[in-house]
Formats: sequence, C-alpha cells, structure tokens
Amino acid sequence: MFTTRRGLLVGAAVLAAAGCTRETATIITSDADLTAALRTARALAAGAESLGYGDIAQDHLTHAATLERLLRPNTVGEEAAPSYADAAALAEAETEGGREAADACLGTDSDYAVVLGEIAACRAAHAAVLA
Amino acid sequence: MTALDTGLAAEYAAIYAYGAAAVHLDGDQRDLAEELDAEHRARRDALLDFYEAHGLDAAPAAPAYEVGPVTDAEGAQQVLLAVEQDVATAWRAGLAPGDLGEREICLDMYTEAAVSLARWRIAIGVTAADPWPGRPQ
Repeated sequence: MFTTRRGLLVGAAVLAAAGCTRETATIITSDADLTAALRTARALAAGAESLGYGDIAQDHLTHAATLERLLRPNTVGEEAAPSYADAAALAEAETEGGREAADACLGTDSDYAVVLGEIAACRAAHAAVLA
Repeated sequence: MTALDTGLAAEYAAIYAYGAAAVHLDGDQRDLAEELDAEHRARRDALLDFYEAHGLDAAPAAPAYEVGPVTDAEGAQQVLLAVEQDVATAWRAGLAPGDLGEREICLDMYTEAAVSLARWRIAIGVTAADPWPGRPQ
C-alpha cells in the first residue's frame, strides 16, 4: 500500500486524522455534586470517628470510597476536617449534609441521582439516631 | 405501575404487617412499633390525597399480605425489620431520573423510610449503620 516513504507518511497522517490510531480513550468526569458530597462525607466521617461513632463513620467512609471511584480519574484533595463538639453538633452537620445531597439528587438528571439520594437518606437517618 | 404505585403498595403492606406483629411486642418496642405504624398510615393518607388531587386512581389495599407466621416478640422484630427494609427499597426505586415531582415525593418518602429503618434497628439491638438504606442485596 505505501510503496514510498512519502506515501507511508501521507498514509499515516490520513489514518491519524481519521482517528484510526491506538490512543486510549479517557472519560473525564468532573461533577460538582459528587465532589461536594465527597468533601462532606470525609468531614462527617472524621467527626463521627472523633466522637466515638465508629459505625456511622464507616458509613461515610463507604460513601467516600464510592464517590472517589465515580470521580476517577479526577481526584479531590483532602482538607482539614471540622470538629464537632458533641453528638448534637454532629447531628446538625448530618442534617445539613443530608439536605445538600437531597438537593443534588433532585438537581441532576444523571445516573448519580440514585446514589446521591441514598447518601441523603443515610445522613438523615444518622441525624435522627444521634438527636 | 409508577414509582408512587410501588411505594403506596409497600405502605399498605407495612400497615398490615404492623397490625399482625405489634401485638407480640411490649414496652419500648411496642411504643415504637405503634409510632412507626402511625407514620406508615400518615404516608398512605398523604399519597391518597396526592392521587385524588391529581385525578389519579390509587390501587386499594389488598385484603391481606404475606407476613409469615408471627408467634412471639422475636418473630415480630424480624418481620418488622423486613417490612421497613422493603418500604425503603420501594421508595428508593423512585429516585432514578424521571418526573421531578414524582422523584421529590419518592425522595421524601425514602428519607423518612430510612429514618424509620434506623430507629427500628436500634430498638431491636442492631446497629443503625447502613450506607445504602433499602438497596437490594
């Protein structure tokens, strides 16, 4: 097919222009709702752990791991975790986090609506049992 | 069958199950069971009002629902745990993208169901922790 060097170069250029090369496709997912939910999950996990609610902290860590996976290949850097004085303060933060996730659930038409709704319900349940 | 129909059917079944199981409980568990039963009835009534306000036909409750034999408190605890999980699962199904008004109702109902599920778990000595309430196993 490419009998001369020039022909080979022209052929390669045509193939590359047509997208017939072996470059790996990468889907970039940068979702503000998922990022916000991840930051809140990390903060709530640290707060629950510091107050001795290890099982609640584990729920948030499970959320964080799922959100990190959904956001790949993007990453969200760790931030300084807020501290909560007591269970009432943590319950309030859980309520706020639940509202944030609920708003995100209703504000998106993406497949992430379900996971955001699940996170909202979980945080509301935490708030109820902590109160 | 819409997500609201599915949720309403789950609430009907829960009300029937509480009627069959709560009599085997006493003390704090009985009090909470009666409270949660009342919440299911309130959700049913709110849904029926919604159907009526929108000119929609709501399916009636079935004469009976399968809850299995309940003969003691332990059996009642497990039946009501399964019921609360089923209700959460039913409402969770309505979260997927679709009609926004319906999704909002489903999210509200699902959130209330997750709270009820967590409260019942604590009442029977099970951890309330569950990262994905009502998610099918």
